[in-house]
Amino acid sequence: MVIPWVGFPLADLLKRFQPTSRAKYVKFVTLYDPEQMPGQRWPVLKWPYVEGLRMDEAMHPLTLLAVGLYGKVLPNQNGAPLRLVVPWKYGFKSIKSIVAIRLQEEQPMTAWHRAAPREYGFYSNVNPHVDHPRWSQARERRIGEWFKRPTQMFNGYGDQVAHLYAGMDLKKYF
Amino acid sequence: MRGYSVAASASRKMIKAVVFLACLIPLGMLTYGLLTNGLGANPVKAIIHGTGVWTLRLLLLTLLVTPLRRIFGWAWPIAVRRMLGLFAFFYALLHLFTYLLLDQSFDWQAVVHDVVKRPFITAGMLAFTLMVPLAATSTNAMVRRLGRNWKRLHRLAYVIPALGVLHYYWLVKADVRAPLAYGAVLAMLLGLRLWWRYRSRVSGRPAAVGARVVMPAARRG
Repeated sequence: MVIPWVGFPLADLLKRFQPTSRAKYVKFVTLYDPEQMPGQRWPVLKWPYVEGLRMDEAMHPLTLLAVGLYGKVLPNQNGAPLRLVVPWKYGFKSIKSIVAIRLQEEQPMTAWHRAAPREYGFYSNVNPHVDHPRWSQARERRIGEWFKRPTQMFNGYGDQVAHLYAGMDLKKYF
Repeated sequence: MRGYSVAASASRKMIKAVVFLACLIPLGMLTYGLLTNGLGANPVKAIIHGTGVWTLRLLLLTLLVTPLRRIFGWAWPIAVRRMLGLFAFFYALLHLFTYLLLDQSFDWQAVVHDVVKRPFITAGMLAFTLMVPLAATSTNAMVRRLGRNWKRLHRLAYVIPALGVLHYYWLVKADVRAPLAYGAVLAMLLGLRLWWRYRSRVSGRPAAVGARVVMPAARRG
């Protein structure tokens, strides 16, 4: 699904805090409130939900903090009031309802990586050549379409982001 | 006596008609949802999931027939067991067809690759394959022709839902509650049978003695 997000580059926010060279990674945390978010009443994942980016990924102009979509304010289910959008990564990297952003030296332990390290890596770049252990990632169905289409490397943003991973074995760093 | 059996056969026809229509409700709901844009953001997922889950539910219902007879003495469910099994096969066919059409666009090479490489597809495909001979031998003529072997063959009815549960368990991302719930129901239904077997062995009586009532309607015909 191609969504017209309303937001601003995460870099604009991070720069205001003048990150030092020790800021290697950015850690994001979602609100933990089982009253409002009934899905959190069951420990499907270890709550609160945590995501992370490497600093250069976080500073990339395509990495957005979204406050709306389709010209409207973000509905709750889409991650109000503030969510991340990382268009070249799988959806779960785009953490919703952020309540904490932390610059740190260590790579954060993300929620899905903690739950299934063999299935979900830290990077989670869209990559049709690296399958999830239980299913293929080669094709996808866009919401609103009946049939699947071939998935593009980096979700089609290769020209903009491939250089971030130059020299990395993406089968190892999936 | 004659009047009674006519009444029984009339009521059995009635039960069959009701169950037949009830089994069409999930299909009707999916069709209605499809036509009225009511299947949510991802209608394809709703269709594939819906047909799969109803296959499993119907398979479990076929396994409920014997416990209902043995525990409550109800004989009427036996009259609809074959229909439930065939409807399970019907929904499995729809499930397989929608997967082949909407997930794979009939790319047979991709299908073979999927079956070989993805354990959850392997389990699902195996379950479907095992249902084929059961559906094919569901007629009265086949029951007569196969004799004792019919019963042996149809013991696959215990294996198929287990493969179905495994298929479901392996495809969910993290929330395994639903597949585990179906697994628990299946374990109960199979556990009862093991318990009866064990008890009949201990007491030395054949298992069938446990049936309390045999009503005329239970006769095969």
